[in-house]
Amino acid sequence: MLLLGGTLLAFGPRPHGKIPPGRVVVSYWEKWSGQEADPMRAVIEDFNATVGKEKNIFVEYVPMATVQYKTLAATAAGVPPDVAGLWPDQVVQYSLRNAAMPLDELAREYHIKPEDYKKVFWDMCRYQGRLYALPTTPAVIVLNYNKKFFYETADKLRAAGLDPTRAPQSIAEFDKYAQALDVYAPGTNRLIRAGYFTMEPTWYDTVQNIWFGGHSWDERTQKYNLLTPANIATFEWIASYSRRMGKQNLVDFQSGLGAFSSPTNPFLAGTVVMEQQGQWMGRLIDIYKPDMAQVIVPFGVEPFLPRVLRPFNYDWGIAAFPSNVPGVKDASYDVTDVLMIPRGARHPREAFEFMAFTQRQDQMEKLCGMSGKNSPLMATSDEYVYSNSNPYIDIYDRLAASPNARANDQTPIYNEALSLIEVAVQQVYLMQQTPIEALTEAQREIDKRLASQDELAAARAAWSSR
Amino acid sequence: MTAAPTTTATNTAAPALMAQPTIAAARPRPPKSGWGDIGKGLAFLSPWLVGFTVFTIVPIALSGYFSLCDYSLLDPPMPIGLDNYRALMKDQWFWNSMKVTAEYAILALPAGMLVSLGLALLLNRPIRGRAIYRTAIFLPTLVPVAATAMIWLWLFNTKLGLINYVLGKIGIPPVPWLTSPSVALPAMVFMSLWGVGYTVVIYLAGLQDVPAELYEAAELDGATGWRRLWHVTLPMISPVIFFNLIIAIIGVFRVFEIPLLMTNGGPARATQFIAMYVYDNAFLYVRMGYASAMAWIQLILVLILTGIAFWTSSRWVHYQGK
Amino acid sequence: MASNNANKSWLGTHVALLMICAGFIVPFAWMLSTSLKTSAEAMVFPPKIIPSPANWKTYQDVWHHPRFDFPLYARNTLVIAALAVAGTTISSALVAYGFSKVRFRGRGVLFGMMLSTMMIPFPVTMVSLFALYRWLDVHTPIQFLGTNKPLWLPACFGTAFNIFLLRQFFMTIPDELSEAARIDGCSDFGIFWRIVLPLSRPALSCVALFTFMGVWNDFLGPSVYLQHPEQYTLALGLSQLQGYRGAVTDWNLLMGASTLVIAPLIILFFLTQRTFIQGIATTGMK
Repeated sequence: MLLLGGTLLAFGPRPHGKIPPGRVVVSYWEKWSGQEADPMRAVIEDFNATVGKEKNIFVEYVPMATVQYKTLAATAAGVPPDVAGLWPDQVVQYSLRNAAMPLDELAREYHIKPEDYKKVFWDMCRYQGRLYALPTTPAVIVLNYNKKFFYETADKLRAAGLDPTRAPQSIAEFDKYAQALDVYAPGTNRLIRAGYFTMEPTWYDTVQNIWFGGHSWDERTQKYNLLTPANIATFEWIASYSRRMGKQNLVDFQSGLGAFSSPTNPFLAGTVVMEQQGQWMGRLIDIYKPDMAQVIVPFGVEPFLPRVLRPFNYDWGIAAFPSNVPGVKDASYDVTDVLMIPRGARHPREAFEFMAFTQRQDQMEKLCGMSGKNSPLMATSDEYVYSNSNPYIDIYDRLAASPNARANDQTPIYNEALSLIEVAVQQVYLMQQTPIEALTEAQREIDKRLASQDELAAARAAWSSR
Repeated sequence: MTAAPTTTATNTAAPALMAQPTIAAARPRPPKSGWGDIGKGLAFLSPWLVGFTVFTIVPIALSGYFSLCDYSLLDPPMPIGLDNYRALMKDQWFWNSMKVTAEYAILALPAGMLVSLGLALLLNRPIRGRAIYRTAIFLPTLVPVAATAMIWLWLFNTKLGLINYVLGKIGIPPVPWLTSPSVALPAMVFMSLWGVGYTVVIYLAGLQDVPAELYEAAELDGATGWRRLWHVTLPMISPVIFFNLIIAIIGVFRVFEIPLLMTNGGPARATQFIAMYVYDNAFLYVRMGYASAMAWIQLILVLILTGIAFWTSSRWVHYQGK
Repeated sequence: MASNNANKSWLGTHVALLMICAGFIVPFAWMLSTSLKTSAEAMVFPPKIIPSPANWKTYQDVWHHPRFDFPLYARNTLVIAALAVAGTTISSALVAYGFSKVRFRGRGVLFGMMLSTMMIPFPVTMVSLFALYRWLDVHTPIQFLGTNKPLWLPACFGTAFNIFLLRQFFMTIPDELSEAARIDGCSDFGIFWRIVLPLSRPALSCVALFTFMGVWNDFLGPSVYLQHPEQYTLALGLSQLQGYRGAVTDWNLLMGASTLVIAPLIILFFLTQRTFIQGIATTGMK
């Protein structure tokens, strides 16, 4: 064993240097690895071969789990990467702690202008009037539904006065669809298919209030206000689904849900008919459940299908969130991957050269096109829309540009508040507390944190100016 | 010979030592002065003294200082007195994570002790294929945490998993292991039993140390089975039981990766252990000072608990040499 | 004295052990079986316990994986393990000698302090250790963060558990031996080096093994201190096979890689478990 180890030590592989000599190395940490990283790797390859070669810059892609903590720790330690691929949450978190470099001047220099971007994504990159990030691949979370089950349940839906060929548009309508699509094991009250299930997936339960036009964070007063009529209505609505299904059904059903990236994914397996998801559902179908993508023509022939017909080849349908609020249509929940330059980065200028490269329309379309996503830029080429692997790319594009595209709240205690709201949702979902109880408790805890945060910020200002 | 465990087998390196496992009758050399060989002693201890100072005293003192500060890693720590501790006392989710950790300890400590001791007793019998059995029991402790979490997520699944499949075969309705707030914690206790390998190995070592003559004597006295276990084996290995108890208490405060990967503390924070809450506060909320205050409370608790264990140990731990 | 009774209990032991071990092996067996499936087969329900045909290509894929550089990570892990094992074995032995063979006032108190360091949970010192390394980076010419030093350097100053173990062992070495050597003009270090160490091989190898296994599987340490994938250890590298929120796309690859990572440990344990157990046994743990 020792001998083997020794041999490996002596003759084993060494860290390999693929970096051309003489170039400035921009180290780029990114959360994505695997297939999800391939589009960005392609863009980097392009950069290194063209602009990078010209200006003597070499970008090195470093995939990294929990990149947001490691970047923060590395920044604190004085050894940050030059570019970090993060989420919009970090725009606030990092800028408040002076861990991110403001990019306004560089952006001006490179002619990167707000009007070139869909507003929701541009705003995510800014905090308190300054620019800290640039967007890359966006995620547009919308209502996903399984058309096959809509057709199979057509009679029942029609009997309830619903149209099986489209998605529900109001919440009242949505409830009727959901109830009609529920399936119980014959002769029992054991739920085996849910029209809609609160905890599938578990990622968007805290932004469910978008459906009701609710806001947790009041931008104007810079305070959380959970006990608004819209938020209470949201929680009452969640509670109504739990009541209808019954507590035992909730935990049993949730315990039987499969893994996200697998054929057992509840949406792919047909266990849940309607849920909130992003553009990646198309890619998951292609990988794990190709029969959901060959309704008209078999898999592989699809690229020859006229663009307008492609949605019909899918059992998978998408639509904006249903809403009861007058005037609110085309609602969606929007996030984007962002690129930031941590404070203390060794080569900020070279880093921005690369970031600017990713913002070029051709590169952005390559990046988003390969990921099956829409572009954060306003302008889109026909070619990009046509060749995108996602059949609904135009819908995603339209929803992201809508004024009802909603982003994460920009608050100084975002992560804490989010996890407190999440507990409230789970408590209501599990019927441990009533909506008012859960919201009141979360509000109290959040108020405490926010007050102490504000107090500390003030104390720190006084302390550091001593 | 009876079926008594022997320690004779393989040790070729130091056969002389095996014959006298207890401390050799020491013939104390007269100390040179009141301080003994203090210079020489400290010289030998010097690596540890340096390491202890740099890697233990300094970090503990530092975290003590941070716990009295507002500190986000990026800005210099700002002293705020006992505010962090005051806030902690009023933080219901801190108390919740303490409660979760305590409940887990109450279930997992005895269960782990019983299972590992039982296994060690079985594995200590002179039977063929002991090495294979021992390896099988030890194996799970080697599986990487990420893989362990994935495997158990699958095993626990009501519809797709093996456990409920087997339960179903014998007519037991499916158990929502990880999604029910009342079952999730016991499920983690159950899972922890899979990782008793290290403890079993240490028990095995202790069992090998029980002199065969004692069993023979007990047999002559007519003591068999349970009585032999109760009057010979357990007292003889009580120091090992004590050692494992201490290690287990410390271990409870470290439970972190498995609940993080499997339930992320849910449902409704029913599996949010104290180590997770410390980690969240330190890295997710970037409240290092607050996290340090929690860590200090944790440290004091561990010291109290192990102190109690040491204090009571004189009643039930029997040292062979005495 | 092979009575009927003994035979029966012998059989009973085997049956009991077989059943228990089966329980212990199931999750591991599933890992193995998943590693021999294709990515598509891996998450099919009902699962096939024995994949046919076995997809040995998984292991080839793991070996050549673009994000999981097994040979490189193995090398990194071995470097850290080798340094930590060598460092902790030598230093712990030195300290243990001081605690067992040299008499001086305050020895008991220091020993108690050392034992109590075993009780400090890692999170207590995690944050401040990080700050400490940062301070050392700024104020000394040596860089710690972003290198593997924090993963093996502390071990070179002795580890409480190992010191404890070795001290217990050294206590069993008769003082007569060292006295005789002293009369022959041997220094304390000479006694340590020429008499105590050679006599303590089982305990030393036990310390080495425990340390080796600990380093091999450590995830938290590398995840806090290593920042560049080219320095990753095997345990940390495994996380590269998982996606966002731990989502796994290729279950067979994750399981195959996990199997590869622990295979050396299983072999090591199987071959050394007797020494392993005896190494602890002779020390008495008390």
